[in-house]
Amino acid sequence: MSPPERVLKVDIWRGGESGRTQRFEVPERENQTVLDVVTYIQRHLDAALAYRFACRVGVCGSCAMTVNGRPRWTCRTHVSRVVRRGKLSLAPLANLPVIRDLVTDMTPFFEKWQAARGRFVPGDGPRDEMAAVSPGEKHRIAASDAIECINCGVCHAACDLVSWREDYLGPAALNRAWAAWNDVRDGDRNGILRAVVSGGGCHNCHTHQSCAEHCPVSLNPTFSIAGLKRETLKAKLRGELK
Amino acid sequence: MIKTHRTDILIIGSGGAGLFAALYAKKANPDLDVTIAVKGLVGKSGCTRMVQGGFNVALSEGDSIERHFMDTIVGGKWLPHQDLAWALVNGAVKRIHELENEMGCYFDRNPDGSLHQKAFAGQSFDRTAHKGDLTGIEIINRLAEQVWARDIHRLEEHRAVAFIPAKDGSGIAAVLLIDMHDGTFRLVQAKTVLLGAGGGPSMYRYHTPSGDKSCDGMAMGLRAGLTLRDMEMVQFHPTGILAGNDTRMTGTILEEGLRGSGGYLLNGAGERFMFDYHPHGERATRDIVSRAVYEEVRAGRGTPNGGVHIRMAHLGPEKVAKQFKGMVKRCADCGFDLAGGNVEVLPTAHYMMGGIAFETDCRTALEGLFVAGEDSGGVHGANRLGGNGVANSTVFGGVAGEAMAEAIAKGADWREPDAGVVEREVARCLKPFSQTPGDLNVIRESLLDLMWDKAGIVRDKKLLTECLAGLDDLGERHARAGLADSTRRFNLTWHDWLNLENQILVSKVIAQASLAREDSRGAHYRSDFPDMGELETTRYTTIEMSPSGELKTGSRAVEFTIVKPGDSLIEGEAGAPPEMPPPPQAAE
Repeated sequence: MSPPERVLKVDIWRGGESGRTQRFEVPERENQTVLDVVTYIQRHLDAALAYRFACRVGVCGSCAMTVNGRPRWTCRTHVSRVVRRGKLSLAPLANLPVIRDLVTDMTPFFEKWQAARGRFVPGDGPRDEMAAVSPGEKHRIAASDAIECINCGVCHAACDLVSWREDYLGPAALNRAWAAWNDVRDGDRNGILRAVVSGGGCHNCHTHQSCAEHCPVSLNPTFSIAGLKRETLKAKLRGELK
Repeated sequence: MIKTHRTDILIIGSGGAGLFAALYAKKANPDLDVTIAVKGLVGKSGCTRMVQGGFNVALSEGDSIERHFMDTIVGGKWLPHQDLAWALVNGAVKRIHELENEMGCYFDRNPDGSLHQKAFAGQSFDRTAHKGDLTGIEIINRLAEQVWARDIHRLEEHRAVAFIPAKDGSGIAAVLLIDMHDGTFRLVQAKTVLLGAGGGPSMYRYHTPSGDKSCDGMAMGLRAGLTLRDMEMVQFHPTGILAGNDTRMTGTILEEGLRGSGGYLLNGAGERFMFDYHPHGERATRDIVSRAVYEEVRAGRGTPNGGVHIRMAHLGPEKVAKQFKGMVKRCADCGFDLAGGNVEVLPTAHYMMGGIAFETDCRTALEGLFVAGEDSGGVHGANRLGGNGVANSTVFGGVAGEAMAEAIAKGADWREPDAGVVEREVARCLKPFSQTPGDLNVIRESLLDLMWDKAGIVRDKKLLTECLAGLDDLGERHARAGLADSTRRFNLTWHDWLNLENQILVSKVIAQASLAREDSRGAHYRSDFPDMGELETTRYTTIEMSPSGELKTGSRAVEFTIVKPGDSLIEGEAGAPPEMPPPPQAAE
């Protein structure tokens, strides 16, 4: 006779902004991510469970959820690392509107990304050459350190300021702005400083470091935001910013 | 009730093809109303984002577009549509500069500040531009930022289900979609449409593509009467992770560079075996290594879970952890130690070289419908070079965007959709809700095994015939399987049903095309026809579906419009590495 199957007790948020949690029992496996648990429930226990995923390997940043109270990417979170006394509790990411069950509306997140000038603006360099950019140059190092964001929204959900201040641009958007400002090819670097200095901008950050602590790809948005604070102040002193 | 919507240009998909098409169309004419519809979120679904390798482009001194072209043709075993391959290698030069200077992509640099281009198997020059081993994220994030910044409409989590022809038969009139959030239908009328939804051989037990991929675009093309080509050509990547049953991670790639830098493949007895199959050992091309691993496992020399081990530790765990940071962390998150231990791997279905037949300006046989990226067929022939995938989607995406804007400038207008087809397609999608709930899991698991065992890395007539019979049976079981109609809002199980319908249809196409090709070329290997056949008389397979659902296979001669077998545009051997580094010595 095979040994009795071990079971995970999984509490999942069901509904929209209002709803309730529902308990499921899922067979425990040696190798199992939180996304695998959610998939098992949808395939075998409740066909109507809503969740979002795509790449399944930590590249697309679609599957982030709140796992036992903390925002995490679920495709790369092994159950053994997060399970507590055989229990998992899953909810949608905080600080974003809920569509249904574990799915949030990420539109506000990407709107803030744009509001922070989180994009490249071409400069007046030649368009048919690859600019010479030394990998050891100071700005390139700063940009490279910040650029590998997968826009999963985990830092946005972890940040208490985002939850307090609706217009705060948030760590992901500001981190992108810092990478953009450090891009020597960019055609409007002062425009970035203007975008991040206003009301909900970088100076709201109180350096709590939640973003850096939770980032699944080990970026440090707090550090990036500190850079923006410094550069906006310097630009003000130079009279380039009001 | 069906929501309706009108736009000038509708783009299906938001990978390299879709995003570039949108930007190009807007650049050609900012007044055009452009809409992107995508099954997931813009820039976050699909496979361009998952590109690890990089972007092939001939830029350096000593390299040339002719050399890139010859590598592509020879790698594709003379099967590529040569004008398309030529458009690819030419367009790649323009596209990499746009990515760098207009989108702001960060590609890795040499210490002197010049672009770094790395070696990739099957190429006679180091020409793969990259951003570490996460090139796809960089390209897609930068493109998506530019799309968000422009006046481009987004229909996110909108799944395309059918091309709707014009009532008068003059071309495409609209695309029928399901708004996944509320589960209702939306009919989007457009003057021109781009299909850039991606392919993805997700019907194989082990597969690499994004989990949302289910060959929707190719299935829609078949239902609209379009011809697909080269559908037997499914590329297998040699090293996918084996993580156990019911794990979504299983099948995802451990990158090629691990073998390139000296990693070992070990069988169940802990012995290296690749040199028994090929003098290049672990560094042989994808098809050769995949077949060798498959044979080794089939001969009973596999690991306990039916794979082989990849081992890097002899190169120094610290060095490996530094050089392959992303891969090591990915394995660690699944509980495996890539830097210091063994990780179980198996070949995994990666890319479909085949797809909808198209012209160099991305037009298809259906007036008004354009195609780009993995949904299209003919660029890569029998094998796609690593680094030619993202070049393909971005090059042809841009071409399509420009061509669609031009078609509208020349008078392409809205057509009246055939209401009968709309009604029929809605009924097809809603059918499961009126049937007794069935077990989709059994059907999906059976499909994965059937395709893996009988239409996979090694094929023969008997296996393929059994495969087709099995697919007919699965198709019937799927058609009878119903769904509980509790809610249609964000109902993933409904979409699983729709996914499976498309996967089974495209599986039939793969199996039938594989049966039709009685030789072995590139990714397609027939153990009953192991020879490549004469290159001079190379033919490519075609397949189309009749209105009654019958699949008709054919073949056409490849036109050697630029270079004939035996001739070359370059000095030296195409496809051969510039210089083969000696195999590294074992530490022990």
